[in-house]
Amino acid sequence: MDSLTLLSIIITIAVYIGASKLAKRFPSPFTTPILTATIAIIAILSLLHINYNEYTVAKDWMTFLLGPATVALAVPMYNNQKIIKERLKPAVFGLVSGTIATITSAVWLSKLLGLSDTIQATSAVKAVTTPVAIEAAALIGGNPPLAAAFVITAGIFGAVLGPILLTLMKITDPFSRGIGIGTVSHGIGTSQIMTEGPVQGAVSSMAMGFAAIITSILLPWLYPFIQF
Amino acid sequence: MKSAFLFVAQLFFIWAIYAFSKYMVETLDIPIPSSVLGMVILYLLLTCKVIQVKFIEKGAAFLNKHLGFFFVPIAVGLMNYGGLIKAHGLQLLLMIAGSTMIGLAITAGITQYLTRKDKKTAEEDKGYHGQSHSA
Repeated sequence: MDSLTLLSIIITIAVYIGASKLAKRFPSPFTTPILTATIAIIAILSLLHINYNEYTVAKDWMTFLLGPATVALAVPMYNNQKIIKERLKPAVFGLVSGTIATITSAVWLSKLLGLSDTIQATSAVKAVTTPVAIEAAALIGGNPPLAAAFVITAGIFGAVLGPILLTLMKITDPFSRGIGIGTVSHGIGTSQIMTEGPVQGAVSSMAMGFAAIITSILLPWLYPFIQF
Repeated sequence: MKSAFLFVAQLFFIWAIYAFSKYMVETLDIPIPSSVLGMVILYLLLTCKVIQVKFIEKGAAFLNKHLGFFFVPIAVGLMNYGGLIKAHGLQLLLMIAGSTMIGLAITAGITQYLTRKDKKTAEEDKGYHGQSHSA
């Protein structure tokens, strides 16, 4: 490992630890570590004139466990399987309607805001986990690397603003909170809503998986249908 | 020492499920992400009692706790989109935030509404018939 990679890893871990401490000291959606740490790391890398290509090797080292970490979400799902089974019907209804709503509203908002055709197609996939988003974007004429950027941004918005919106809407039921966050902001939202409680985390993990599968099935059919 | 070894073995086992899922997705061209397939496989192994939850609990708890960390290096990739953000940043933020909040409100709103309706119906059934129906 070269020194630039080592430095990038040390910066990332140190900033993340600092961001987690900040979140514990001042618990608020706006101190979500992924938000504060990402901003701080981008600022530090820019100051040190390290570009993202140079950071990529460090990124690959650090994200080695992302796939296994997603697999491990099966454990909270298993521990909460009773509530998931009991409430599967409302959950599936909510999840399918919400997935259609988030896809349709993204495309329509992009059109209204005068964004390009490529951005419109890419916006349709932003709610689901990155590997699915990349493939689904390519199918309908979107841009895969941009899809990854949209997915991350949607995840951060869901993690930061999602719990505030749910509370404003008086959605206090932990199960419904988990379903909503997992459906629109995948793993990033899940990592945040888990801090609210184990039910939220378990349900959000399940919703994230379902939303990915439903989106990849629905999108090629839904996308042409919602054009105007 | 023994517990450290067990912890690493648990991580390795979870990683192996992921590696297996990745291999399956690539060879069979399954249209779902490897990590989601791996999640389903581990869930089935647990529910079918092939493995006990205590066998992987520590490793899984560690990964769950630090899930957020693994997204940070990927999110740093947003620094590549400075140009696009300068050109259309506000529109993009409005679109992404707006549709994320619309999707969230509808998903969570419908789920909570239907759950409460189900509960109410179940309670009414109890009242009318004197005993509960198992749905």
